[in-house]
Amino acid sequence: MSYCVNCGVELDDTAQSCPLCHTPVLNPNKPVDMWGPKPFPTEKGEVPPVARGELALLISAMLVSVAVCCGVLNLFLRAERAWSLYVIGAAVMLWIWFVPPLLLRRLPVCLRLVLDVLAVALYVFLISLDLGGGNWYWHLALPIILLGGAIVLGLALIFRGGRRSILTTTTLIIGAIGLFLLGVELFVDRFLTGSWQPGWSLIVVTVCVALMIPLVIVRRVPSLREEVRRRFHM
Amino acid sequence: MPKHKKKKPDWYPLDNAGVLYASIQKEKYSAIYRFSAVMTEEVDPAALQRAVDQVMPRFPGFRVRIKQGLFWYYLEPNDAPGPFVRPDIANPCQPVRFKEDNGWLVRFYYYRRRISLEVFHALSDGSGALTFFRTLLAVYLRETGVDIPEGGGVLNIHEPPAREEMEDAYSRYAGKKVLRGGWQKTAYPNTSEAEPFYTLNVTMGFMPVDKLKEVAKRYGASITEYLAAVLMQAIMENQAAQRPHRPRPVALAIPINLRGWFPSKTLRNFILTVRPCIDPALGEYTFQEIVDRVHHFMRLSVNRQEMRAVFTGNVRFTANRFLQLIPVVLKNPVMSLSYRLVAARPYSATYTNPGQFKVPPEMAPHIQRMEVILGQATRPSPHCASISYGNVMEITFAGTGVSSETERRFFTHLVKEGIPVRVESNRTK
Repeated sequence: MSYCVNCGVELDDTAQSCPLCHTPVLNPNKPVDMWGPKPFPTEKGEVPPVARGELALLISAMLVSVAVCCGVLNLFLRAERAWSLYVIGAAVMLWIWFVPPLLLRRLPVCLRLVLDVLAVALYVFLISLDLGGGNWYWHLALPIILLGGAIVLGLALIFRGGRRSILTTTTLIIGAIGLFLLGVELFVDRFLTGSWQPGWSLIVVTVCVALMIPLVIVRRVPSLREEVRRRFHM
Repeated sequence: MPKHKKKKPDWYPLDNAGVLYASIQKEKYSAIYRFSAVMTEEVDPAALQRAVDQVMPRFPGFRVRIKQGLFWYYLEPNDAPGPFVRPDIANPCQPVRFKEDNGWLVRFYYYRRRISLEVFHALSDGSGALTFFRTLLAVYLRETGVDIPEGGGVLNIHEPPAREEMEDAYSRYAGKKVLRGGWQKTAYPNTSEAEPFYTLNVTMGFMPVDKLKEVAKRYGASITEYLAAVLMQAIMENQAAQRPHRPRPVALAIPINLRGWFPSKTLRNFILTVRPCIDPALGEYTFQEIVDRVHHFMRLSVNRQEMRAVFTGNVRFTANRFLQLIPVVLKNPVMSLSYRLVAARPYSATYTNPGQFKVPPEMAPHIQRMEVILGQATRPSPHCASISYGNVMEITFAGTGVSSETERRFFTHLVKEGIPVRVESNRTK
């Protein structure tokens, strides 16, 4: 048995410090029993989280009832236009976004992102059906959605491999935004004029690169990085 | 449910202490307390579950769930499966959630050689819960092959429950005259920085009863009075260390078991708290003066007539026609506020001592010691509780505050008085 040198109370064999004054236990004759059972359990009791299945069911029921109600209403109210497709499409998109991740806990992030992007594409497709714009959908909207999805997927893959420094994360996100906007102008130009004449997106890319350069330098030079960390309490 | 049971009332009202505990229950306050018995052998969970299943029907006051009516909470028999014994957790006395755990208001845990019972205070006070626990331990020991006779505080589980065990003793003994305590001054709250959710810091100290009695006698006080005085001094030192511009009084809430003055076999609540108080603003007190003050205050205020007049007021409060007509959803915030003003703010801490846990001689060799823990207070400050078994006095500090100064001052004071103290804690840092 050990006693606290500060308080004089006898301590448990597994105590590494005195629970009263936090003085460490240093007894060469009786080292702390690191492996013995503790006097109290170490597992905490917490409120059980809401069952995911029930939450998925609730969300599904809400979205289905919204979609059905609007679909039926569309038959009587302004029946000449399929306006309910907007609501039904949104319900389908929201369902794909939220319900599969709740039901399948081990759904890979990449697969989830692909599903989410496809859901957005489907929603915009339904809108294009109502507006009669098959042309702009296939040549403009879908490429932009796929490009955005590909860039987010790329970022997800990069970030998946452990914790990145906040500098690297910021640099990559700024770079991705620049790349996305460059692509947006490419598709817009090709859709409108048939050729690519980079204009406003170059300005955005320049700004992004200008933002990235100092971040990369700080990240690369250890002394600078330490200084920034110290100054910003990172 | 069999037909003949329909004759019995299938619900009953809470007593006036229960009404309060049910109304003020929330996620950041726990009216749950725990009694633990550390056995000499490792606990057998299957035997413990069998014992729980046998004992619960004998104690209808514990086999209940709480329901929210329009005007009051009420209790009704709980026929749901359970309660089930569970492996113990690091944060005992979690706040009760009326709709979880099949509505059970008692919990059973086991950890190595320790059997723990947690009870929601609306059902029973410490004395009632200890009768239940004693019977449970006896049945558990029988399940493990030990021959334990009835009697000596162990109830016969094959007998039907006596009517008197379920009585509302407050109403039975309520008199005609009401004594209203005046407005009490706000006491020093003894708080420290709060720990995150799901943390209850528990520190237990163990010491020999004979040694403690000897020291208490030296000061001319009982063990409860002496320990209350040590606790008050520890809290006063905490306050003095903060160098307040105007020191606040230090007051304790000490529950008194009324069964000693008003004979009753009830297993429900039958307690009243008294409030010994020291005002450091009046000047310095020596330790002997603190002990004397607590001792004389307890002797003066704990008497049949005054206590009856005080709880008569509480009974009248719940029987008030006007109050009865206020819906419970409106009543809860009012009760919560009045608890804060009347029962929390004028006190620095609670100190409860259910006294000696006595068991039949056949049981004694199988129990090593007893422990008691009070649930978290409305603020991050520790509550203190003690229980003795054989020659071991166990004192627990439990709270959600980070600081361990109160318990340090308390236990080091005992050490300085020559009482050997052994300390165990669930603190991880």
